[in-house]
Amino acid sequence: MRTVKEPGSAHSGLSDWYWQRLSAVVLAFLLPLPFFLMLMVFSGAVDQQGLLDILDHVASRVLHTLLILALMVHAYMGLKVILEDYVHMLAWRIPLIATMLVVMGGFGIWWLALIWAWA
Amino acid sequence: MSKMITLSVFRYEPGKDEKPSMQTFEVPMLKPGMKLLDALNYIKWEIDGTLSYRRSCGEGVCGSDGLNINGVNGLACITPIEGLKQPIHVRPLPSMQVIRDLVVDMDHFFDQYRQIKPWLQAESPLPEHERLQSPEDRELLDGSYECILCGCCTTSCPSWWWNGDRFLGPAALLQANRWIVDSRDEATGDRLDQVEDAFRLYRCHQIMNCMDACPKDLNPTAAIGHIKRKLVSRKS
Repeated sequence: MRTVKEPGSAHSGLSDWYWQRLSAVVLAFLLPLPFFLMLMVFSGAVDQQGLLDILDHVASRVLHTLLILALMVHAYMGLKVILEDYVHMLAWRIPLIATMLVVMGGFGIWWLALIWAWA
Repeated sequence: MSKMITLSVFRYEPGKDEKPSMQTFEVPMLKPGMKLLDALNYIKWEIDGTLSYRRSCGEGVCGSDGLNINGVNGLACITPIEGLKQPIHVRPLPSMQVIRDLVVDMDHFFDQYRQIKPWLQAESPLPEHERLQSPEDRELLDGSYECILCGCCTTSCPSWWWNGDRFLGPAALLQANRWIVDSRDEATGDRLDQVEDAFRLYRCHQIMNCMDACPKDLNPTAAIGHIKRKLVSRKS
């Protein structure tokens, strides 16, 4: 019988899988909202001041924050899986995932700053 | 004169041939309901004895003749010639090392099967007669125990093509689930531990080529989904 030399389980993956699905559920509820808002603006039901009032409301800011966080988590998990699928050399894979994390983290922080008007 | 069938068959002998090639054969339609394996046997016995392929039971039980038939994996012995577009392209199972012609190296596939420890593990004392199982618990094994390990599902899985060195593949994971759901097995925790890995289990992206390719109409994707749900329920 051949001896199987393999490193065994890394006990990882479950949390990635869990967060990807959890964020997908949040996105399913929250992502249609900005499109609905755009539709209202384009149809003339809401004018510029009305749009700003809606966006400035604390509930909108909280929902917007949740949306961005879910989007970041979901996109990060998905892109990480794609990199793991296609980039087999660890010397490339790990720096690429790290770069993605930094870029997406920066983007998320910038967006949150806009939402909460830090900038 | 009987109707002729045209086959285009993959030929390659590593060490001798520089690169693989497709060879065309004309085979008579020998009988109604003729299977692809009959055509390959005809080629081997009547036209070219050097053609190599695996076969054994000839009735879809042993799983020896898993092949890529017109781009879809299946067993040659239960694939009817009728309904196949001609010329019938017959290739070895995808992403496998070819030993010769249609014969591929299955070592890695069976290594992965061995990794899920496909045997009953129980520590409780052996009962006087046998470990009993209720008909309801036995029913849970339906859709898993029928697997003949032909490799059609695993070798049709793009995730396995890309990461076959680490992803266990649909066949091994279907069997992992078979032992996880078995009421007599007492190593469920260890089994879940062994597959809880971003590559070994979670490389399954539900592409579902496996259930499309399975000649026994099994659903490895559902089995993998069940393992994932078990892992979530263990943690939540």
